[in-house]
Amino acid sequence: MSELNEGSSEIKPIRMKVIGVGGAGSNIVDRLMLSNPSDLHLTAINTDQQALSNSPVMDKHCIGKTVTHGLGAGGDADVGREAALADKQLLEEMVKDVDLLFLTAGLGGGTGTGVTPVLADIAAQKGATVIVFVTLPFTIERAARSNAAKVGLDKLREVANAVIPLPNDLLIQESEPDASLLEAFSQADAWVEKAIKSIWSMMNKTGLINLDFSQLQQVFANRSSKTLFGLGEGTGEDATNAAIADLKLCPLLHTPEFSKKADQLLVNLIGGTSLGISETQRIMDSIADAFGKDANVVMGAVIDESMGHRVEICVIGTSGSSDVTIFRGRRRMKKIPSANLVEPDSAEIPEKKSRKSKKTHDKSQKTEQHEFSFSEGEPRGEFENTEGTMFEGQDLDTPTFLRRGVRIPI
Amino acid sequence: MYSSKVIAGIEIGTSKVVVLLGEIVEGQSLNIIGMGQSSSKGVLKGDIVDFHAASDCAHAAILSAEDQAGVKIDGVYLALSGSDVNGFPSEASVNVTSEDGRVSKEDIEQVSSLAKGRDLPEERVVIHHLRRPYRLDNRSVEKPLNLEGEHLEASYWTVHGNARKIGDAIHIINGFNLHVDDVILSAVAAGSVVASEEEKQNGCLVIDIGRGSTDYAAYQSGRCVVAGSFPLGGDHISNDLSIGLRMRLNQAESLKHRYGSAIVEHKNKGEKVWLNNDFEIGDRPIRLWSIEKIIELRMTEIFEVISKKLGALGRSERLGGGVILCGGGANLRNCEQCAEGVFGAPARVGDNGTMATGELRESQYSVALGLLKYGLQYQSKLGPSENKAPGLLRKLKGLFQ
Repeated sequence: MSELNEGSSEIKPIRMKVIGVGGAGSNIVDRLMLSNPSDLHLTAINTDQQALSNSPVMDKHCIGKTVTHGLGAGGDADVGREAALADKQLLEEMVKDVDLLFLTAGLGGGTGTGVTPVLADIAAQKGATVIVFVTLPFTIERAARSNAAKVGLDKLREVANAVIPLPNDLLIQESEPDASLLEAFSQADAWVEKAIKSIWSMMNKTGLINLDFSQLQQVFANRSSKTLFGLGEGTGEDATNAAIADLKLCPLLHTPEFSKKADQLLVNLIGGTSLGISETQRIMDSIADAFGKDANVVMGAVIDESMGHRVEICVIGTSGSSDVTIFRGRRRMKKIPSANLVEPDSAEIPEKKSRKSKKTHDKSQKTEQHEFSFSEGEPRGEFENTEGTMFEGQDLDTPTFLRRGVRIPI
Repeated sequence: MYSSKVIAGIEIGTSKVVVLLGEIVEGQSLNIIGMGQSSSKGVLKGDIVDFHAASDCAHAAILSAEDQAGVKIDGVYLALSGSDVNGFPSEASVNVTSEDGRVSKEDIEQVSSLAKGRDLPEERVVIHHLRRPYRLDNRSVEKPLNLEGEHLEASYWTVHGNARKIGDAIHIINGFNLHVDDVILSAVAAGSVVASEEEKQNGCLVIDIGRGSTDYAAYQSGRCVVAGSFPLGGDHISNDLSIGLRMRLNQAESLKHRYGSAIVEHKNKGEKVWLNNDFEIGDRPIRLWSIEKIIELRMTEIFEVISKKLGALGRSERLGGGVILCGGGANLRNCEQCAEGVFGAPARVGDNGTMATGELRESQYSVALGLLKYGLQYQSKLGPSENKAPGLLRKLKGLFQ
């Protein structure tokens, strides 16, 4: 790590761990294994001994042998839960001394749905920040699965710091229309992989604007019901703008599962050496404004030489938390160093900081923000002034593709 | 000397007003003698929102039809559609009273009036009572008279509408000094023309996709058992396109007609077509995939809404006769495949070949033709001399006086 990063990593590196739970969760961990960032510890747990033995991950555990005899939970979440409780000590051991824990699982089955909430709860009690990525079943799968998934999702939201649900239906839009089911599933896994790697690089790569763990913790300080999550990628001459456009189209931002505004917002930008600070800042301001005008925004920009001309944006936000202001000081230091230096560490900080955050928003004015309209409520076009056509809780006057979050390339 | 009566079938739709004139000879046969059309104004999502504009259009169409035929209209049958048409099932049962255990005429009358007697919410009037087969001791019977049994059940699907909105449409016709003999739900009218007896017998579904609203009527064992209407239609497709592809509504409308398809045909996302195709400034290429995807999602949803409203009646095993599409929306390419995908039953675009030739065979005239057919049946039932206002109109009169 460079000297820029002295505060956190030199003294005590952040201990991060990824645990894949159940079949789908392990698959994601397997994928990560192939492109393993060096200091990311990967673990797979399952109730099915045979499935586990196929995994290339080194650290793997079969849990609940007393309950399932290593034969899997049979799609029953209650069995999964029992299995987890039976091996509680093993799970505790697993998440001990972990600062940042990622859990990945597919909801709807037995192990993922049953074990993940128990594990998240244990980890949270041990003091870890728990971020859970879960895939939701395809609608072509049975209705029973999606009901089980909903129950599991609610349980997770109670215990984890952030739960990011990825509806499989949406993820396959990214793939070709005649992709096989296997390809579709691996596409879903790829999304989770991207998200985890993005947060990992935020913590571990050299930062143009650095983020440290305490900031991440603050964003996820409160358990909240809904999370905002989006990824965007761009290449070529105007990579940053392309990435923003891509982010804007990110199907995850248009689903009802996700909140449209956030109180706490974490924006990370990963780019090659050509990424400039002023450009970065301008873009970040506009993103912050688009996703939440009154949000507390934590920003990071990472330089990764291997990115070349590619730029990736990752946005994570939570809503429903307290109004602690944590606008990033270091970011301002680049612009107006004096303002930051004279700021005393005293009781008036909260007031000052909130004023500061306002000022930053003013500065970023409405130059290009009009372009963004993720959050303005869905347009109804010609039917704007008519009575809505309500059916099963939806206003059918709003275009179908918007309500279903289908991404339409122009 | 023979007696003849001229009746008009009038459909005030979101896109156009269609007037067809029919001459009923001796209360027996029907000749189509005139037609008038005008494009609609003041109608949105099937509802009249501007009385004067809608009234002017309707009058223009009626006038042109009368001029063409050179006769005066004696009575009008009006099609009904739009946001405020709803239905509910109403059921009643009686014990068979006679000593020999056979169903008497009185039993049937009593159970029917009980079933029809359910109170409606305020400001709503009954448009149709669609009778479903009687049930005698839990078996389905068409004509229970003189059959042996203990327990007779009757069930109706009651279609009702907002009295004020129906009143608006009737006032438009009355404003032209014409008398409305009856109002009929669009899909029921269309269904009587496009669906064959065999299809109705096997169970079929007639869907009339208009510009502002979609109507449906489901048939079982030869008769209409469920019908309804909801305000989704072709305008929604254009609106979706205009929002999704950032263009004006008329451009979207034109794209829909030129390239629209109810299923995605062009899987290659790279294929593009020109927006205006005039090589002027502002013309730009549009992805064919995007156009088709937006339309596919909307059309599928329209069929899904119908499927959900029908419940068990919409299942493929109850639709042996298939799905019949009519109205302007049926002109959309691949509309049949889209409907087949949702209902799992064969679908076809309706055709008025049984009643008309030439231009009138097109599915957009099904409703008006159906109105005339209905009028013919009604007149022959009454006999040529009798002509009293039906129950609905009496009820409406009460409301407006």
